[in-house]
Amino acid sequence: MTVHDMKHAASDSARLEAVGGRLSRVDGPAKITGAAKYAFEQQLDGLTHAVLVGATIAAGKVTAIDARAAETAPGVLAVLTPDNIMELKGASDWLGNPPSQPTYAPLVREVTFSGQHVAAVVAETFEQAVAAAALVKVWYDETPAIVDLSDGKAGDGIPIDAMTKEWGDAEAAFAEAPVRICAAYNTPREFQAAMEPHGLIARWEGDELTIWEPSQWLDGMARTYAEWFSVPFENVRLVSPYVGGGFGSKAVALAHSAVAAAAARMLDRPVKLVLTRPQNFTSYGGRAATRQTVAIGADRDGKIQSIVHRGVNETAVDGTWVEPLGSVTSIMYATPNFSSKQNVVRVNTVVPGAKRAPGENPSAFGIESAIDELAYELGIDPLEMRLINYAEQDPHAKKAWSTRQLREAFAAGAEAFGWAKRSNAPRSMRDGHQLIGWGVAAGTYPVRRAHGEAVVKLLSDGSVEVESSSIDMGQGTYTILAQTAAETLGVPVERVSVKLGDSHFARAGVTGGSRLAGVMTGAVHKAAGQALDELIGLALSEPRSPFQKLQANTLQVRDGRIASPRGEGPDLSIADFMVAIGRDQIEAKGDTLPASTTPEERYKNYTTIAMSIPHTEGDYSRHSWCAHFVEVRIDEDFGTVRVARVVSALDSGRLYNPKLAESQWKGGIIMGIGQALLEEGVVDRRHGRIVNGNFADYMLPTNADIPDIQTISVGIPDPHSSALGGKGVGELAIVGIAPAIANAVFHATGKRVRDLPITLEKLI
Amino acid sequence: MNDQVTISPTTLSLNLTINGQAHALEIEPRVTLLDALRERLHLTGTKKGCDQGQCGACTVHVDGERVLACLTLAAQVEGRSITTIEGLAGQDGTLHAVQAAFLDQDAFQCGYCTPGQIMSAVACIREGHAGSDEEIREYMAGNLCRCGAYPHIVAAIRQAAQELRS
Repeated sequence: MTVHDMKHAASDSARLEAVGGRLSRVDGPAKITGAAKYAFEQQLDGLTHAVLVGATIAAGKVTAIDARAAETAPGVLAVLTPDNIMELKGASDWLGNPPSQPTYAPLVREVTFSGQHVAAVVAETFEQAVAAAALVKVWYDETPAIVDLSDGKAGDGIPIDAMTKEWGDAEAAFAEAPVRICAAYNTPREFQAAMEPHGLIARWEGDELTIWEPSQWLDGMARTYAEWFSVPFENVRLVSPYVGGGFGSKAVALAHSAVAAAAARMLDRPVKLVLTRPQNFTSYGGRAATRQTVAIGADRDGKIQSIVHRGVNETAVDGTWVEPLGSVTSIMYATPNFSSKQNVVRVNTVVPGAKRAPGENPSAFGIESAIDELAYELGIDPLEMRLINYAEQDPHAKKAWSTRQLREAFAAGAEAFGWAKRSNAPRSMRDGHQLIGWGVAAGTYPVRRAHGEAVVKLLSDGSVEVESSSIDMGQGTYTILAQTAAETLGVPVERVSVKLGDSHFARAGVTGGSRLAGVMTGAVHKAAGQALDELIGLALSEPRSPFQKLQANTLQVRDGRIASPRGEGPDLSIADFMVAIGRDQIEAKGDTLPASTTPEERYKNYTTIAMSIPHTEGDYSRHSWCAHFVEVRIDEDFGTVRVARVVSALDSGRLYNPKLAESQWKGGIIMGIGQALLEEGVVDRRHGRIVNGNFADYMLPTNADIPDIQTISVGIPDPHSSALGGKGVGELAIVGIAPAIANAVFHATGKRVRDLPITLEKLI
Repeated sequence: MNDQVTISPTTLSLNLTINGQAHALEIEPRVTLLDALRERLHLTGTKKGCDQGQCGACTVHVDGERVLACLTLAAQVEGRSITTIEGLAGQDGTLHAVQAAFLDQDAFQCGYCTPGQIMSAVACIREGHAGSDEEIREYMAGNLCRCGAYPHIVAAIRQAAQELRS
């Protein structure tokens, strides 16, 4: 049994390279020089190019496709249609549930949404494929579509019983409460809009499939491809070295992925298929449009007695997405009576999907707007209102918070923002013709936990390699795993190279729900600890070891050198030691699963989300928390809203790298500004088309829209949430931004906008 | 949707000067500079985000001015000097001041818009449009970043502009 000294970890914690240090991104140099090759930028011999043809109706049948002109166009290798594409098997869903249909058709005859893929052209060059795709003629039998939630045909939808949360008698308590507010809050269809479009290169070699595709979940997507094509999981290799943004959209293999892989199989040539920007608005789901009503009953002193919440989200005709709208509603404030229920309504859209903080984001827009309305109903400061109703434990799970630094967030944010100088009355602050509004809102996101695996190799030159099939889409995985390995092993961080984004590396589950950093730092810490154990064990016991004569109980490793903790005897670099004992490498594979885990369970753990650990498991309820303070300036005549400054105080537990965490927080805040003021998928009422599916008409925040943003970390290490004490970072900061802005707009103008985005026509 | 359309197989012989090096290309006239760089010359540092001139990810310099490579035909830039992100650092690998400042300020996350941001930033400073944060924000508004690195991009450009002045 080897004991290794881990004291260096604590003593070195202020160092840049240690966990918690502000190390610059280790993948940064590749990204700023253009050297970073993203997934579908690989160069392959014989590469062909595929371009999709999308349906121009939202509901109905494809009655005929005339591909003759396209087939005879220069360079065209094939025109795939529902009639000639190879048959694929149905694949299980992300929970591992078996497929509902035995086969899967990524090109359709029955159209359920506009833009759905009906054909694909494969040609020698991209230009040839684009030109030929325009020659494919499609005839339809169009039937009336349900275009969105406001469509008369949409109805009330289907109750999702699993979303129901109730305690006490909410309806009765609301009816009896002396102060009551009730309002409806809407959010539109929104899009992830990662700058890197979706796409892939697929190549078959016999029964082995290699897919270069931006991915938030290599193992899960590899499973889907394996099932579609009836090949063993091991035969599929997914490669995704850098991911140009995902925000929830790149976690599953999609219809266009299947088309490309099928085309490659049929032609026996590698196929590259990249969605056009407009196709990125219709080929996978953005955030579903939502409708909520929030009713709050309270005492005259502001204490909440009851919350009654009802929610609806749109979903597809042929698939169900539930955006959990009661997730923040049920935990943010203490209330003795509560009821939340939710329906989904089928409309003719692609199945909606995950976009940053699915559920929590729209949920917070409802409850954090409603609590502000209650504050104004009672004439209580909105920040004070939140403190009056502070939840000292999880009101739903009735468990203690693992850590909840929300009170600290309110205090730190208010201090930095200057909240005390605010006058509470609407329209009471102005600067010339600008109305000034100060708003506050809170946010939260659960700590989603899972198990991970990592390989750590100590090489004979003293360098270290870390391998994992997890990915870096900008959150900083490369960097924090290098920091974790460096700190655990006691080697300089520049000697650590991290290899990610290959499904043949040690397995990882989904990168989503802010779980990756906690899972993977834990796995790398464990694997690196095992490697260190082995290194020190060899140093103490290997006959050729210069340390063997020392008869020591332990040794320590610092800055890549092995020595006795008392400084006696040899002091050797890892490289010299490896040479001395004649070893090429020490390799350790570590995972955080229980030792009794079966291979089947391991497969399930990495390729589905069925084995995620509930955030309320055991004695604690685990969440990240934040408080946002926003100043808006609104032109009194024109109703144009500008966010002038943002101060956010956030509790993500311990930060593995504050420099990178701050970037993610600011990114979430900025996406929230877009949601509050700009972003809305507009559907044409005749044909159910997204009419603004491009970057000029679906407006993302630009640099000129974004003010200075101050973030303050108020987190403390949370040992119940992860091995190293972190909670979630990436999803958190967007939660609560839209209501903070809406609340600021109310403070500025006296107008309560409950329907996002807050565009000028809603203010004048 | 006209099956009378015929597509001419004619190709052009082009000589492009990219990052100081001559490249001979045999391509159709409809090939954009962006696709010529990425698909023919394997210079994939220049990114395709929208392919319709709306995102700025494909920004390169033509004779020192920022240009959207997706809206430029390769044939239009023969005989002109093209600089891409791969040609920005010194021959010895020394980073351009803007590149170094982007790393220092963590002015990117996923990195996909980054080459375009950096090429735009270099031109923004050269144009004399980096005099204040407000001016930087305005003159960098054509380069979208969905990760939301904007405040750090402004900080990086401010830092690089100071270094380049001194």
